[in-house]
Amino acid sequence: MQKFSLVEFSVEHPKLIVVLSVIVTLIFMTQFPKMKTDTNPKNMLPATSDVRVWNDEVDGAFGLYEDMIVVGVKNESGIVNTDTLGKIKNITDEIMKIKGVASRDVNSFPTITNVTAEKGTLRVAPLMTDVPKNEAELKAFQKDLFDNPLFLNRIISKDGKTTAIYVPLEKGSNGKEIADKIRGILKKEKGSEKYYVAGDPVSRDTFGAEMFKLMAVFAPIAGMVMLFVRYLMFKDLFLSVTLMMDAMMSIVWSMGLLIALGFPIHIMSSMAPVFLMAIATDSMHIFNEFYFRYKEKGNKKVAIIETMQAVGRPVRYTALATAAAFGVLLFMSIIPVRVFGGLIAFGTVALRILSFSFIPAMFMFVKESHLDRASKGEDITVGSGSKLLRTLAGAGTYKAGITVAIGLILFLISVIGISKIVVNNNMVEWFKENNEVRVADREINKALGGTSLGYVVAISESDDEYIKNPESMRYIEGLQRHIEKLPMVGKTFSVVDYVKRINRVLHDDDPKYDVVPDTKEAVGQYLFLFSMSAKPSDLDNVVDPSFKKANIWVQIKTWDAGAMKEVINAADEYKKNNPLPLNLKPAGIAYFNLIWNHEVLWDMVKGFVFALIVVFVILVFNFRSFKWAIVSYVPLVFTILLIYGVIGFSGKRFDMPISVLSCLSLGMAVDFAIHFVSRLKQRLAESKGSLTDALLWTAARPGKGIMRNAILFASAFSVMLFAPLTPYITVGAFIVSMMLLSALMTIIYLPALIVLMREWLFKKV
Amino acid sequence: MARYLMVLLIMLLPIEALAISAEDVVKKSQAAFHYQGKDFKARVVMKLISKGGAERVRELTMLRKNYGESGGDQKFFMYFFQPADVKDMTFMVYKYPAKDDDRWLFVPAINMVRRIAAQDKTSSFVGSDFTYEDVSGRDIEDDTHTIIKEEKLGENDCYVIKSAPKRGDVDYSYKLSWIDKIHFLPIKEEYYDRKGELYKVFTADEIKDVKGFPTITKRQMKNLQSGHTTEVAYIKSDYNIGIEDSLFSERFLKQPLKKWIE
Repeated sequence: MQKFSLVEFSVEHPKLIVVLSVIVTLIFMTQFPKMKTDTNPKNMLPATSDVRVWNDEVDGAFGLYEDMIVVGVKNESGIVNTDTLGKIKNITDEIMKIKGVASRDVNSFPTITNVTAEKGTLRVAPLMTDVPKNEAELKAFQKDLFDNPLFLNRIISKDGKTTAIYVPLEKGSNGKEIADKIRGILKKEKGSEKYYVAGDPVSRDTFGAEMFKLMAVFAPIAGMVMLFVRYLMFKDLFLSVTLMMDAMMSIVWSMGLLIALGFPIHIMSSMAPVFLMAIATDSMHIFNEFYFRYKEKGNKKVAIIETMQAVGRPVRYTALATAAAFGVLLFMSIIPVRVFGGLIAFGTVALRILSFSFIPAMFMFVKESHLDRASKGEDITVGSGSKLLRTLAGAGTYKAGITVAIGLILFLISVIGISKIVVNNNMVEWFKENNEVRVADREINKALGGTSLGYVVAISESDDEYIKNPESMRYIEGLQRHIEKLPMVGKTFSVVDYVKRINRVLHDDDPKYDVVPDTKEAVGQYLFLFSMSAKPSDLDNVVDPSFKKANIWVQIKTWDAGAMKEVINAADEYKKNNPLPLNLKPAGIAYFNLIWNHEVLWDMVKGFVFALIVVFVILVFNFRSFKWAIVSYVPLVFTILLIYGVIGFSGKRFDMPISVLSCLSLGMAVDFAIHFVSRLKQRLAESKGSLTDALLWTAARPGKGIMRNAILFASAFSVMLFAPLTPYITVGAFIVSMMLLSALMTIIYLPALIVLMREWLFKKV
Repeated sequence: MARYLMVLLIMLLPIEALAISAEDVVKKSQAAFHYQGKDFKARVVMKLISKGGAERVRELTMLRKNYGESGGDQKFFMYFFQPADVKDMTFMVYKYPAKDDDRWLFVPAINMVRRIAAQDKTSSFVGSDFTYEDVSGRDIEDDTHTIIKEEKLGENDCYVIKSAPKRGDVDYSYKLSWIDKIHFLPIKEEYYDRKGELYKVFTADEIKDVKGFPTITKRQMKNLQSGHTTEVAYIKSDYNIGIEDSLFSERFLKQPLKKWIE
């Protein structure tokens, strides 16, 4: 009863309520300057998570970098010419001057260590100390480049047309900023060469930055579209703006709270405004009913209070269901997921408080003449929209059996589709086919060993220096050959490759010696010899100082999280077939992505399942009936199944954006059923008419609110279909289809179910 | 004699300090740091310490003989004791000013002496943070030297010399050296990378008098960017021991005489 008094209070003191709302909003707004952002999806897992701790440990043990940018240089007529090589030298020099680049370990022609023998002299030095100037020098360079198997597919493609510059980043550098600087350097180079900038930090940080930008652009556009569509529906600018303000206020409140609590705005929480805007459309039902009531009563104040009495309960329960669906995320293990859930749950509650205070108050300021004009069309027998809805509901009501049968068939097809869903995340694919980030990744992966990098760390269980044993060396070599059989693995390299190279070079480049030597001493001395002139990082990167651990680099041609899983499986298989006291443990960014994928996505799936249960419980409470809860649950489950069925068939992967949407879809799709069933039951109790009549009335009157809600929603989100990043297109398509589907489900399928099951449903009632 | 000279030097210091040029300071420093005595022998323990604290140890005997004046030719002979699997490995360098060194290495596992190209003087010395140039000295003419200030560093009154390479053949854009005004040994050196950021720091942590020659017996080089550090200690050192020319030959690389390496 308290809520009703809030409505009455608001109607009695509209000015006070509006002023109070504005003041509260301003207070939350004062927090905005303190805003911190964190665009790095990596931080979805805390720095203390096992995978990050382990990766840091591996990075520390082998002097590796968390992040690496790969710059591809392609010349259709071949890389080995004075002009192109000169450019490569220039570009490398310039890149090494960029702040945030770990210059000492940039690998490119002028910096990568080569081991050669010339006239009996062993040479360990950078591959290209000076740019070759004449034919003879070019020929010698060509030979150096292709003779060393360590280079093939790493810094030179088989066809000699593509090279790569590997640019490791210092901890904490922004990949997008550095990528932009590199692009600036590349832009200055003239000629026929093509340049590509790829790598996880590029896609990750570019995506993070773009996402924020898009949110800043998209949220207002979606808001404007909603405003416009509302205006078309209600023909009153003032009320349309009111609805909009309702959403804006809750956004300001919840974002303000988030900032005040000291949380950075993460990529996930950056989506909150759009989500809240979507959830705010629920107040549409208040407007819808108000217009009908006003037309009947002609008195504003009475209409408002009656409206709130009629829709108050469903609006409260839909809010509760939405808040609960997001609220369960608070119990998940990943912090940004929790923050996101809490943020939306808070926003939803704020929205409802505003629905019961701010919105009724604002109604009091509307001129009655305006309302008269606007509500003219609101007659369920005359209005064309209402007529259509009656027809739709009629189809479900009169041909209930067929409707349910069709539904069942669709259900089965969806289940088949769902069984085909692949859980995977590939950030490069978040960019469109022709986006430069994706093109760069594709081109480099086509020509070279791969832009994605994973490690397999071999750890000796026994003594120090174990790695230096010829049998460990051969074991690692065999493992490399085994992993290289995987189609998406483009290159592997390890300490063994250096040992073999030196063995061969010391023996006058005799191919017979391109093998692991027979004694531990020889291995040790070769590596020592190598370390006498190579960069310290050359050896550090592949073996730890105590020679207890070796690090095998695995370059992968795709960012699919699943690819690293295959590498791990291959390593496990190799270990099973080749027993040796060496443990094999995966690491690196590819491994991180695999774990991220698993943890974040499964956390969301877990949250989704919990939300499903919680929403059902709320439905039971709302209808005080298990049976009605099941019936109203059907459109929701059905909508979700259908969408995921389509996702399964389309081959689209279940990735981060889709997983986030699952919870939203749940919170939203259940709303319609709650409205429909609540109002139907009210109608039945009030009118004492037949069930069919009541169903048709519900479809035509609150159904109009449902349809309006769905259309409003869908139109706003259809804007997202034009976004440059695929997750936004996914989000747009998902929401548009979800809203329309769940509205249709509610209006056609729910009556059909109710008609078919009326015996069972009304047994006690 | 040396001590006598030193006293004389100290007496001359105030006048010297006013008149001395950057080149003079660097020349004196080179003589004190790399050319002291006729010959020199040290048992060296090098600790290569990674960012994570893991250590690799190198232990070697280093012999050096001067041929001619300070800044002239030198020959080096190194015998490795550690790591264990490189025991008996030897390394020999003929150093010439303004010309690439000649280097030879003996690999006992395959009983083979190999010449090693020495094009890149700035490459790491046996995997440490020191470069070959740090070990044997850089040609004075390769850099432009200026005295940027004089200051006290701890107990030592120092000249601060800025040395900027004339050619971009090294990985730093300039170096600052704090050179002691008395014995002319560098107390500290700072290396600045091409972005102008400090990335490597050398410090002389212990200076002892060996046969009248002030000698840096403990030093370290710290790479601030990689977090890698190398500590070097001379556990034994001696000057003017009469090293024979014949030591510096392929024959002795394979089978060095015990008296020299221990």
